[in-house]
Amino acid sequence: MNSGARPKGQKRRLPEWMITAGSVAVLVAAWIVATEGGFVDDLFLPSPASLWDGLADLVVNGYKSRTIWEHAALSLERVLAGFATGAVAGTLVGLGMGYNRYVEACFSPFVEFLRPLPQLAYLVLLIVWFGIGETAQIVLLFLTAFPVSAIAAMDGVKGVSRQRIQVARSLGASEWQIFRYVIFPSSLHEIFTGARLAIGVVYATLIAAEIIAGSTGLGWVILDAGRFLRSDYVFVGVLAIGMMGLVLDYILVVIEHRVVHWAGKH
Amino acid sequence: MPREQCAVSPASGWRSLGTRSLSALSVLIALGAWWAMSAFAWVPAVLLPGPGEVVTATLDILRNGYRETTLLQNVGSTLWRCGAGFILAIATGVPLGLAMGYWSRIRAAFNYIVQFMRPLPPLSYVILLIIWIGTDDRSKIALLYITAFPIIASSAMAGVRAVSQQRIQAAQALGASEWQIFRHVILPSALPLTFTGARIALAAAFSTVVAAELNAATDGLGWMVISASRFLRNDVIILGIILLGLLGVALSALVLALDRRIIHWRGVE
Repeated sequence: MNSGARPKGQKRRLPEWMITAGSVAVLVAAWIVATEGGFVDDLFLPSPASLWDGLADLVVNGYKSRTIWEHAALSLERVLAGFATGAVAGTLVGLGMGYNRYVEACFSPFVEFLRPLPQLAYLVLLIVWFGIGETAQIVLLFLTAFPVSAIAAMDGVKGVSRQRIQVARSLGASEWQIFRYVIFPSSLHEIFTGARLAIGVVYATLIAAEIIAGSTGLGWVILDAGRFLRSDYVFVGVLAIGMMGLVLDYILVVIEHRVVHWAGKH
Repeated sequence: MPREQCAVSPASGWRSLGTRSLSALSVLIALGAWWAMSAFAWVPAVLLPGPGEVVTATLDILRNGYRETTLLQNVGSTLWRCGAGFILAIATGVPLGLAMGYWSRIRAAFNYIVQFMRPLPPLSYVILLIIWIGTDDRSKIALLYITAFPIIASSAMAGVRAVSQQRIQAAQALGASEWQIFRHVILPSALPLTFTGARIALAAAFSTVVAAELNAATDGLGWMVISASRFLRNDVIILGIILLGLLGVALSALVLALDRRIIHWRGVE
């Protein structure tokens, strides 16, 4: 793909994976030298060895009276509850907004307002309204996923080609049939892209939500460990959250391939 | 952009006026519902102060400030942190992204670092940054920088990689030098995606700004909201949320307008 954009006349190129490997090796070596050599305090940057110990410790002993799996399961529950409700509601509103300009006019001020709003800002209000507990967290994740899904679904509907709709109309399709058989399938790809974006932001917001989680969840583990300057636990927690995010994203991709099997074929 | 081209039928003046006023109406209805909820005491005033109280709080803060900070100062420092982080991310992310797109070896050396940074939740390393850099503005700007940088670098890289080979070959066949190809073919073709990335990055940085002001801050809108929540000043919280929301909308409108002006060739392929 890129070969044309490359200066010509180079001999015996190093394969790219070796460059990546070399770069990783330099980085890891610098990390080891800096930490084991005593250049930086373990407090600032844990060494690879202590990171490994932290991981082993978390897996074997858990964190503050719960195993790491329990924390992960509780986080997953919150993520799924907030994501599923937010994505479904957002997609429905977004479909309406894309389909009808008056629906768009009614909802877009709120969606546009909510979208760039920092989640932590409304979290403090949710705490006052719903108290410290599951409800406030799930509402926070709902509000995070909602505008992302709504805008993706709206863009999806708006991107449907006029010709297709006109063809269906001239063949005598009713408004509902056009929506059901033309607009909805054509925007499914965008809807799934929106769902993947939404799960990404929901995961990034999980830590914010679990500020008020009492003492459960991976995000809480990260925050609590950070407070006690246990950087090793923080790193392990971030890795665990990242892994869970990747797995959920992958599941969505698989579902998308099954459902939208025609994507990219027109 | 396809949005404008295919969906919106040529809107005559009164039609777009109609949707405008419908938007205004729905905002008014929401405000009315808010007013009614507090005026008829459907919800306790502690939980939801009415619009009047928020206006009173706004006037009070405009006059007397909030805990020894003026409103302008809070808005200013939030915007300054956001802007500084974002501009630093543009200044470093765009060159790195372009280089990663252009030279596969640079991509091999740096791409995995960028992709690793991208999904990291900001709240997870905010404490580390404070330990490393300190409690002043620099650690907050660094947080926003780290949020924006990987998004910008990835999109600049994707922009370069999406340039069609035909164009490059055509320029080569016409005798363009390596630099000319970069300057007149690759750069203009890569800029639309780069700018889209910059818009996403600015939104991401803005939504992280409260996290940046969560710890060890003495001003900023995020600080104001969090500090107000400790004193149960819900009127100040709502004022802060409204200001943050409006700022966010204004910022994205500004970048969109810049996008339209600078990347005037977007979608004209």
